[in-house]
Amino acid sequence: MSTPRIRRLAAAGTAALAAVALLASCAAQSGTTQTAEGGDPVEGGTLTYLEYQAHTTLYPPQAGFYPNGGIVNSITARLTWQDPESLEIEPWVATEWTVNEDATEYTFELRDDVTFSDGTVVDAAAVAKNFDTYGLGNKELGLTISEAINNYASSEVVDDDTVTFRFSAPAPGFLQATSTINSGLLSPATLDRKLEEFGAGASAEIIGAGPFVVTEEEIGTSLHLEAREDYDWAPPSFEHQGRAYLDAIDIVVTPEDSVRIGSLLAGQADVIRYVQAFDEAQVASAGFEIVAAPTRGVNNSLGLRFTNPLLSDVRVRQALVHGVDAQEVVDTIFTENYPVATSQLASTAAGYKDESKALAFDPELSEELLDEAGWAVGADGIREKDGERLSLTVYEAKPQPLSKQTLELVSQQLAKIGVELNVKAGDAGSYATDTLDPLKTALYHSMVGRADHDVIKSQYFTKNRNTLLSNDAKLDELLTAVASEPDAAERDKASAAVQDYLTEQAYVIPLFEEPQVYGAAPYVHGFTTEAVARPLFYDTWVEKQKK
Amino acid sequence: MPYLARRVGQALVVLVLAFTVTFVLLQALPGDAVLIKFESPELGLSPEEIDDIRASYGADVPLWQQYLHTVSGFLVGDFGYSVQYGTPVHELLGAALPETLALAGLGFLVAVLLAVALAFLSTLAPFAWLRQALRSLPGVFVSVPVFWLGIVLIQVFSFQLNLVPVIGADPVQALILPVLTLAIPISAPLAQVLARSIDDVQLSPFVAVVRAKGAGPARVLWRDVARNALLPTITIAGVLIGELIGGAVVTETVFGRAGVGRLTEQAVTNQDVAVLQAIVILAAVVFVVVNLVVDLVYPVLDPRLKRKAVAA
Repeated sequence: MSTPRIRRLAAAGTAALAAVALLASCAAQSGTTQTAEGGDPVEGGTLTYLEYQAHTTLYPPQAGFYPNGGIVNSITARLTWQDPESLEIEPWVATEWTVNEDATEYTFELRDDVTFSDGTVVDAAAVAKNFDTYGLGNKELGLTISEAINNYASSEVVDDDTVTFRFSAPAPGFLQATSTINSGLLSPATLDRKLEEFGAGASAEIIGAGPFVVTEEEIGTSLHLEAREDYDWAPPSFEHQGRAYLDAIDIVVTPEDSVRIGSLLAGQADVIRYVQAFDEAQVASAGFEIVAAPTRGVNNSLGLRFTNPLLSDVRVRQALVHGVDAQEVVDTIFTENYPVATSQLASTAAGYKDESKALAFDPELSEELLDEAGWAVGADGIREKDGERLSLTVYEAKPQPLSKQTLELVSQQLAKIGVELNVKAGDAGSYATDTLDPLKTALYHSMVGRADHDVIKSQYFTKNRNTLLSNDAKLDELLTAVASEPDAAERDKASAAVQDYLTEQAYVIPLFEEPQVYGAAPYVHGFTTEAVARPLFYDTWVEKQKK
Repeated sequence: MPYLARRVGQALVVLVLAFTVTFVLLQALPGDAVLIKFESPELGLSPEEIDDIRASYGADVPLWQQYLHTVSGFLVGDFGYSVQYGTPVHELLGAALPETLALAGLGFLVAVLLAVALAFLSTLAPFAWLRQALRSLPGVFVSVPVFWLGIVLIQVFSFQLNLVPVIGADPVQALILPVLTLAIPISAPLAQVLARSIDDVQLSPFVAVVRAKGAGPARVLWRDVARNALLPTITIAGVLIGELIGGAVVTETVFGRAGVGRLTEQAVTNQDVAVLQAIVILAAVVFVVVNLVVDLVYPVLDPRLKRKAVAA
């Protein structure tokens, strides 16, 4: 809702005041993805933003980790912009584009007024170099291929403002990929750096064309970003054009939860990332805002590794799916900002289909299925068959919020139907090796955010993340269809087919739709996020200056 | 001089052993830094790509070659790259070291001052109950978890009383609370040992002689007892360096300071071998040097030891 609209309504007398109240309450409900608007934006000021972890790299294809992504989102422009609400792809550096029928050739027309922060022009050659790097990688420099770009073959610079990309097979996800932070455009010189030279300590030398530039860095502690005065190429759909409202942003790494929350409430910080579910009430009751942005991808869920013999019987997997009460998990550990999953995909994700009926909590059904499958309850309450206990292992997933608590509750729920779930908390090394083995890690706790149909392929395809450690050719076939179907409606169908299949085979126990949760001071306005919840400071402004 | 030479030789042996043991232990851990960073699902890389990366880090050659490579690197001051950050290790350490030196140095100084104040007051204070209360303070201090103490200090002095900011503090402000957090638990064993050895020394015959000559309790303590009570305290101080490092890890995490402590914690989490190898050597050097200094200071404080050292 636009600000002038509020003002007009307010001027229209008592009847309108009621309407304003109504609208305001709507705003409060839908306002979960951005801070409140509050009058006319003010230019200037430095925003103090507290991060949970230090960033590790600013090489865009590896910048998925949220501390990286937040910075890349501020310092780079992309060819296209994805509307975080409608998920439509809109122009940004590219003014328009054409895609051939089978989505193997994309041609982009570029704006001619965009510059990198070192002054070089963002022209077709620079853009081509970016996607050649992200699509093919550069072994010599150690630069890896972007997960978001499939089947990339080559680029062609048609003229200064026109570039064509060709693909070896249909790549319908490419247009959306050009909008993600993983495709943030960097200056040609920056792309000549080795992977090591994108790491900590080098932030100020990573040159993009975004509204902010990094000017100072203290390794592992803080970053100082300044607004570019000459930035004038925000996506045309933005109401606000020209330079960012803020003069600068201080990103301060503050790993301790209570210190982050306390600093915000004490007025030492303006916006913080990663408000734990149990701290939300404290933040909200102090009059601060909670911005819970959906990540629009594969839900926070447990993948059932069916190549583990204990899980090879579909009835056992179905029993596990029906034996887990996701509602109880959310009610006990999380808040309303973590909606209960109704499918493997979030309800806000592209290609989502409601599977809630087939996934419903039904412990009695679970018991029947396990009886049927020949698993009888043993002396200690855990089921047995041919002398083997129905005992499974899952590792605590550090990136997932409150993973340990979640898994322990799930373990209690499964114990009630006679299944033992051991929750392990290994060091990173054991985690990395053991989670590659279905025998050691029968259930795998994970999620992935990306606002495109391809996200489900990323999660389950054998040549991508392969979280199920699958050997199921049928699943791969269905996933390939999602990533190679050029027609949008057909992609929806292909995505629905995957969800139906995952449900039918009981390969996944979806838990909840994972948000990124930010806390913001009441005087911070216009703080929003991009399509998968990375912070967007371009529209952010600060009402009163801090003392 | 042979004494010094022998001590330096011992120190070198300790360093080589520390280096080798660390190297072997880190290699024996499951997984490696490349796996942890690149096979984690964030990136969606294929096993072939990960093997390429491992090759580019030189992590695919036989162990003994890696060992020789690392050793020769260390000898010329090249500590390699952090896999996690991609940054040269000397750059990471260079940024972290001054932070930690300031924190640990000041923390230790404040701890010593606190300990001396506590020990002296608990000997000199009027009223038995007050002396008793002061005596029991170190017991409280030592049982306070550093982590909890840091958070309480922040809550009270920064968030409630607004005396020092935690975020956006200048370098001096940024040290006050972390130094206190580190100093309080370290001061406890120092104070206990000092107080105990003051008691012991006060019972020695020579103190009785000094007292008999008419010296007051404060003069006895300062002029005669303190110097003799210091030896055991200095021994403990050497050992406490380890505790100081441990405390720094926690303190730096709570306060979000980017020091060696936090670098260590993250390197352990990510099995960042190059970083850990450098930190272990650094810690070993510090430990060896501190103990060497402690040993060399003994004879200065107690001339009897000097004669023994020379004789040996």
